[in-house]
Amino acid sequence: MSISAANDMSIFSLVAGASLPVQMVLLVLIGTSLFSWWYIFIKLATIKKAETNAEDFEKAFWSGGDLNKLFEGLASSRRKPQGMASIFEAGFREYVRHKQQTTMDVSDVMEGSRRAMRAAYNRELDDLDAHLPFLASVGSVSPYIGLFGTVWGIMNAFRGLSNVAQATLSQVAPGIAEALVATAIGLFAAIPAVIAYNRFASSVDRLSVRYESFMEEFTNILQRKS
Amino acid sequence: MIRTYEKEVSWKAGGLAIAVHLALLGALLISFNWKAAHTTLNVTEVELWDSIPNQTAPAPEPVVQPIVQPEPKPIVKEEIKPEPKPIVEEKPKEEPQVDIALEKKKKALELKKAEDQLKKEKALELKKQLDALKLEALKDDAKPAVKVNKPNDALKKLQQEALAEEKTAGEQQALSSKASANAGVVGEFKNKIQAKIKGNVNKTLCGEGNPELRFDIGLLPTGELSGSPKLVKSSGSAACDEAVERAIMASEPLPLPNDPSLFSQFRNLNLKFRPND
Repeated sequence: MSISAANDMSIFSLVAGASLPVQMVLLVLIGTSLFSWWYIFIKLATIKKAETNAEDFEKAFWSGGDLNKLFEGLASSRRKPQGMASIFEAGFREYVRHKQQTTMDVSDVMEGSRRAMRAAYNRELDDLDAHLPFLASVGSVSPYIGLFGTVWGIMNAFRGLSNVAQATLSQVAPGIAEALVATAIGLFAAIPAVIAYNRFASSVDRLSVRYESFMEEFTNILQRKS
Repeated sequence: MIRTYEKEVSWKAGGLAIAVHLALLGALLISFNWKAAHTTLNVTEVELWDSIPNQTAPAPEPVVQPIVQPEPKPIVKEEIKPEPKPIVEEKPKEEPQVDIALEKKKKALELKKAEDQLKKEKALELKKQLDALKLEALKDDAKPAVKVNKPNDALKKLQQEALAEEKTAGEQQALSSKASANAGVVGEFKNKIQAKIKGNVNKTLCGEGNPELRFDIGLLPTGELSGSPKLVKSSGSAACDEAVERAIMASEPLPLPNDPSLFSQFRNLNLKFRPND
């Protein structure tokens, strides 16, 4: 009966023959997958950049050069400093500003620059954490969306069976195959998102630890200076 | 959506994301043979038979074709040959019919006998005539060949008469044999239908004993049922009746003879079942 339909099982005809809800699910999943991969590549690039920036800045900072010169270089550059450099810049700017007012106590100066660094650190961390919640959502939800499409498609396939006297596998097989495409795409979207989320979360954690330790060390240096 | 500092990598990342999806699609198309494997689906239906269905129709009796010599040539010598034997040979052919009639009705037998008598008389007469002609011909032996023509003509006429009689009898025989052959095919296929249905009956539902059921079924020329089978005579057990009815449904398409002219005999069938036989 539906042998001719079953013969042409290309993935395109499967998708074209699916019911509207299944097609919507497929569309949503493909969109989600594209976005999650886009964010994955963006995050790969930005996190790698932040790591190299931190490395470069630490090298420059611990090279024993003049901190004033380092600050001048960062402040005069056309680009806004990022990562560790922006934390240093915020802390040092606050320190210099308080230092000019000689009436202030040393502990107050240290407290002020610490607060400025904490604010810069939070901003940096927010940038580093960007898109990670999206990846986490895709990783946990898209298998369910795919499963929904599959269940819907299989429901349709079995409902079609009720109209025929003799149920054969060839009557349900195309429906089940097209329904399973939804699960496949859902998994394809979810697996990279989960892997990327875990990897990026640990990278961000390590970066934040690095930033925090830098903040502590820099506070010590400033305290010694004043 | 994206932060300002991410803008510089966004295009590159978008291109990479699309590339990943295209790669996946390519892998899907290459690694899977999405063409279904069952392109060569050949279903052979086999019916298993316990025994060969008995041929209900009697095999048509071999018709004894009396060898009639070709018309006698005007040579005197051959005149002895064309004896009116065919008339005598008609007897064995007539006899089986008489036998059947005897079993059936006595009246018919009497009638037949009378007819036989008549025929015999006629044959005797013919023989006499022939003999006379023969004698005449023998007498005329010495006469020129031209004169022989006349008695020969008469002989020929007689011969043809006998031949015609023979011929009509043969035709009748052939017709009846064809009818009986058709009856045989119909019976055979009725047996096949019954056997196919019986093979599908769940006998355990019919219990012990030997219940008998009757179903009226209508058939389409394709061998499918034209409606649901009607129970004419129940076995007494509803489960058994239903089992047979399900078996009838499951036996579609039912076997039908190839000759479409015979289908009229299958349009409505009354079938008897003994599931425990």
